[in-house]
Amino acid sequence: MRDQVIEDTLPADSIAADVALAASGDASAFERLYRTHVARVHSLVRRMLDADEADDLTQDVFVRAWEKLSTFRGESAFATWLHRLAVNVVLGRRKTLGVERGRFHGGEDPLEGVSGRRETPEMSMDFEDALARLPDGARQVFVLHDVEGYRHEEIARMLGVVPGTSKSQLHHARMALRRYLDR
Amino acid sequence: MLTMLTAAVLASLAPQQGETDTTIAVPAGASLSVNNFGGSIVVHAWPQNRVKIHAEHGSRGGIEASLAGNTLTLRAGSRHGAPSVVDFEITVPQDMGLTLSGTYTEIEVDGVRGPISAETVDGSIDVRGGSGIITLHSIQGSVTLADATGRIEVNSVNESVELSNISGQIKAETTNGDVSLMGIKSASVEATTINGEVEYEGTISDGGTYSFTSHNGDITVSVPEGANVTLSVATANGDIDASFPLPFTGTREKHRYTFKLGTGSARMEAESFQGDINLRRPAEMHMQHKDKDKDKHRNDNQDHEEP
Amino acid sequence: MNDQWTDRLSEYVDGELASGERTALEAHLATCAECRATLEELRRVVARAKALEDRAPKADLWAGVAKRIGSGQVVDIRSRRRFSFSVPQLIAASIALILLSGSGMWLALRSRQTATRTPRPDAEWQVLNVSTRRTDAAIADLQEVFERNKSRLDTSTVRVVQQAFTTIDRAIAEARAALEADPGNAYLNLHLADTMRRKLELLRRVNAIAAAQS
Repeated sequence: MRDQVIEDTLPADSIAADVALAASGDASAFERLYRTHVARVHSLVRRMLDADEADDLTQDVFVRAWEKLSTFRGESAFATWLHRLAVNVVLGRRKTLGVERGRFHGGEDPLEGVSGRRETPEMSMDFEDALARLPDGARQVFVLHDVEGYRHEEIARMLGVVPGTSKSQLHHARMALRRYLDR
Repeated sequence: MLTMLTAAVLASLAPQQGETDTTIAVPAGASLSVNNFGGSIVVHAWPQNRVKIHAEHGSRGGIEASLAGNTLTLRAGSRHGAPSVVDFEITVPQDMGLTLSGTYTEIEVDGVRGPISAETVDGSIDVRGGSGIITLHSIQGSVTLADATGRIEVNSVNESVELSNISGQIKAETTNGDVSLMGIKSASVEATTINGEVEYEGTISDGGTYSFTSHNGDITVSVPEGANVTLSVATANGDIDASFPLPFTGTREKHRYTFKLGTGSARMEAESFQGDINLRRPAEMHMQHKDKDKDKHRNDNQDHEEP
Repeated sequence: MNDQWTDRLSEYVDGELASGERTALEAHLATCAECRATLEELRRVVARAKALEDRAPKADLWAGVAKRIGSGQVVDIRSRRRFSFSVPQLIAASIALILLSGSGMWLALRSRQTATRTPRPDAEWQVLNVSTRRTDAAIADLQEVFERNKSRLDTSTVRVVQQAFTTIDRAIAEARAALEADPGNAYLNLHLADTMRRKLELLRRVNAIAAAQS
């Protein structure tokens, strides 16, 4: 999983030490953990929700992580644990919005009419922008599956849909994003 | 001009000049009621049994005065139905009770020793002195009260409330503003706001009850050394910070913590949904408050420079 | 392009087709250049997704986090020793009480153990549910009266009053949200009730003023 990249660049000992220190109340140790993982968390939140909420929610994630740090038993990598916590915070946020929306229906293309065709590169939109423009549900399935590596069964449970829906939304998201590859 | 008014005499006084000056003798123990619409009401005290009235109302306005029983009532006169704007400057016997009201009216009282009720919609209320039942209400306007004693209820809606050097029972409230209570001697204090801070510097008497609450502002309370108080501190999102050791007696539920100082005789609630709870010693509060005053007066001067 | 072959392409990329379907699709791909092109594009989308780089936020968010976890970064030169507790610390840590040379018991923080959760008193929560409904109704009634009578007030007064309503409404919403996450909590219950009562009182007061203006 992608988390391994972070764990590999820093000595595993130093992260484990910081986790232990932070769990006993050392805020400077927690700040080090924050610095190491914030880009990852922020990007996940930004892609799952939107740029406006990403700052606030990123802070929520870290505050929650601080509160729950004593429950981290060290059986998985800290980054994995933090990452799952971030996904939960994002999904929790989704629930409070309460609106079931953002699925592709039939043959519609949400990015239709937005320029990004190769013929007009000067008005092009890059891949992440296009990602942000997808309907919420499809975007979240795409982020969870293709970016974060979750499987359809898990995604279905997380989002409260059947695996079939997850698969079809993923497919539609990928089809829509094809045009924005070279940016 | 010394005039005596008796019974329900409604008198329009000096409408032509734009000003009215008159002095009215009143029986001992009389009270004053002033109803204004726009303008101001300023009241000072003197050791005489007369009420001196100076009113500026423009040539179209006037004031009406009537004395019924023990109450002298002054009203902003209205010509052709429209209420006029009057600036009242009234000097009253020191012990005269005051009931002052207006809509777009600023109210200022200085030096009286009796009960005071002041109510305005859009205008500040500044009172120095007063005893007995003191009620000051404004909607859009700050309210300040100093050197008073008695049963005190002060509130604003959109601005701050400041009480200093007060003794007695106190209830101070606002919605969009700070509540500041300094130099208080009381065994019953309630101070609350929604969007603002609360600060309290005063006694914490044995057996007293003190309640300081806000939704999103900090609460700063001074706790004198040797105070005997059971502190119930609650905050959903803020921190608790004390300048002295806080003996913790337990938490019955999330967000609320109890500390016991000395015998725990007084009961204090300091609660803010999102703000911090700060517990300080009196000396620190004086220092902090002096700094705040400096900043405030800097801003005040700027206001006066505006056209 | 919604034909049966295109729809299967994502599953094919992910290796999720049953062997029969896979064979059939591969046979089709051999003959359909368009589907091969689409397949290639889908693979590149997946690769692009995996290659997305993480970007740190533009603002430094640590200060906000630090404040909420109570790291006490602000140093107040006036106070010598400070005893600060952040609420999350109090919740997440277990509390060890240390007797300190006769002056009573202090709060010190240790790690690891989470505080036991007190069971939610359902009965209490039910009662609150009913009483906020009543208060909600009272507020709605008074709000209606206000709307009808506010023309009697000056526009600046109306504006000021509505600012106050907005402030209180926001506080009510925040208190409600916190209470939903934590229904049995006595402080949150009371705080919501108090805040709603403030709205009620302000509405009453303003309606009285409006009525007096006639």
